[in-house]
Amino acid sequence: MTRILLVEDNEMNRDMLTRRLERKGFTIESAGDGEEALKKIAASQPDLVLMDMNLPILNGWATCRELRANPATESLPIIALTAHAMAEDEQKARAAGCNDYTTKPIDFPLLLAKIDNLLTA
Amino acid sequence: MSNVVPTRELVRLQGLQVKVGQLLVKNKLSDMLKDDLSRLYDALELSVAKLDDLNLQGVSLDSIDSAEMRHDIRNAIGITKGYAELIKDTAEAPSATLSNLLDKIMLWSAKTISTLERTRLKQTDSSLFAMTAIKQQHPNHRGHILILDDEPANRELLSRHIQQLGLETFACATADEAYEVLRSNDIDLILLDLIMPVVSGHQVLADLKASQLWRAIPVIVISGMSDQDEVIKCIQAGADDYLQKPFNKVLLQARLHAGLDRKRWVDKERELSNELEKSHRFIKNTFGRYLSTEIVSKLLDKPDGLDMGGQLQTVSILMADIRGFTTISESLPPQKVVKVLNNYLGTMADIIMAHDGTVDEFIGDAILALFGAPVAKADDSDRAIACALAMQAEMDAINERNIAEGLPSIRIGIGINTGEVVAGNIGSKKRAKYGVVGHAVNVTSRVEDQTQPGEILVAQSTLDHCSLTLQTGRELRLQPKGVKETISVTAINGIVDMADKKSNDAPIKSNDVSSTAKKSESNGNASNNNLSNEKHKANL
Repeated sequence: MTRILLVEDNEMNRDMLTRRLERKGFTIESAGDGEEALKKIAASQPDLVLMDMNLPILNGWATCRELRANPATESLPIIALTAHAMAEDEQKARAAGCNDYTTKPIDFPLLLAKIDNLLTA
Repeated sequence: MSNVVPTRELVRLQGLQVKVGQLLVKNKLSDMLKDDLSRLYDALELSVAKLDDLNLQGVSLDSIDSAEMRHDIRNAIGITKGYAELIKDTAEAPSATLSNLLDKIMLWSAKTISTLERTRLKQTDSSLFAMTAIKQQHPNHRGHILILDDEPANRELLSRHIQQLGLETFACATADEAYEVLRSNDIDLILLDLIMPVVSGHQVLADLKASQLWRAIPVIVISGMSDQDEVIKCIQAGADDYLQKPFNKVLLQARLHAGLDRKRWVDKERELSNELEKSHRFIKNTFGRYLSTEIVSKLLDKPDGLDMGGQLQTVSILMADIRGFTTISESLPPQKVVKVLNNYLGTMADIIMAHDGTVDEFIGDAILALFGAPVAKADDSDRAIACALAMQAEMDAINERNIAEGLPSIRIGIGINTGEVVAGNIGSKKRAKYGVVGHAVNVTSRVEDQTQPGEILVAQSTLDHCSLTLQTGRELRLQPKGVKETISVTAINGIVDMADKKSNDAPIKSNDVSSTAKKSESNGNASNNNLSNEKHKANL
């Protein structure tokens, strides 16, 4: 069973994505900010992280950098989610260590393909 | 009364939200579907709220300056779209109504996102406006297709197919040629081959999407490979669609039309939103939010469900507006105008709801309220009149508040009329939301137009249904457009207390009121056109 940690501060977005992913057979845990995400990852590492970038307390970029700086999580697959559709956003996410990037509104089949791609890599 | 409509995106969305609400109350649903649908309903509510905020600020969807606001809207639409897709993907044996509704929500999301996307274009690209302007001069513009393919046979085949569809083609063998054509022609769609020597299709695509001028032109990628990753890569890079070799004529036609439609839609929307901005002043975009929550919550309270499909029913319609508001709004900064409106509309909505009325819409400074829809009651006319009196009575308090806040005082006119209307989710192009349509609405507007500041004018049709004994003022006859017979209208100054009436056989109050009328006793004499003295306050 593939475990995905969904880091997203917007409750509706979190609920919607959780429902969609669960019905595709994933086990979803969620965190509402970067700090909570780090704690959950430290407690039990998921197979993949879906991370919104505009998070309270600790934002997505900082969270990513921190995960990459830790040997235990340096290769944990991370897909960035953001509502900005700017080319700079993708570069920024990749620079912070995200493996892949997708914009909101989410193209769900594409997201599934990206998840699949990272998990089989 | 103004005829300003809110942005079409918002009207459509409210209609969709009401429909989801109906599905929730009307149908037997599995727990999972019910739960998903109620989340979708909430997501729609969020989108409505975001678009409504935008309207209140007088900003159109494709000219949002604030990145944060764009982010919020994009997010809300994303959630809405996500739930709709979730249900579409996982609902077992969905009804045709549900499928259809979900498709509409997804379509709405896609269109709205695409409108939102144009913000950046609009902000950065004035030359695109020039292009639009050229197009406006040639409304019968047929569609110019640029073909970029290094193989002569392909170019010829594609050109022939496309010309047969009545479109003009520009065939190019190299990227440089294509750029030259793009610079000197108004191109509506590009067919792009991926595998080319010198400059590859991928590079051309990247160049196009990086160009502020050409970014909006739809690109259909032609691919010889059945390699889906390749196609996904192109779509991610900004291509709109793809077409596989060898060409299927029917598919080519369908995709071309879809692409051209998209382009036309983009152009048209821009055109329309420009017009809208020009002709409608800031405040005219203001639109109330009471409609959806009010009506939908009434629906949800009735598990048996109401037939919202459009029923002929008798409704008392109340219309109120601020007299001379255009002058006020022109002389005040927008923030103050909003304050005046908020002071006024919020209080009025409370009064209307306290009288069991439904605020159907706020249109700028105007209020359209219904008594008798969605739920008809015996005393609809009585409540409409009592409500109007209460509204006028409240104006002093509103003006005190206005003056205390350094805002101008305002006076309103109220018209009431009763008649048969079609109430419900009216799916015509003019209205795609819960509301009423019918001649009676127009008549109400005409009645309201005749009011003096502080006055309440009530049509005879309402008085015929009214069981109250009223203090009346002037009477006049109107001939609304498109109506043969004139209608008689009476000014109402107050309600005669029943206890008072019994003790005092003549139904006239001790203070100076010119006459009284009860139900059809009012004779509707046209000659009596004098304004009654300034006793406009309710006598409740």
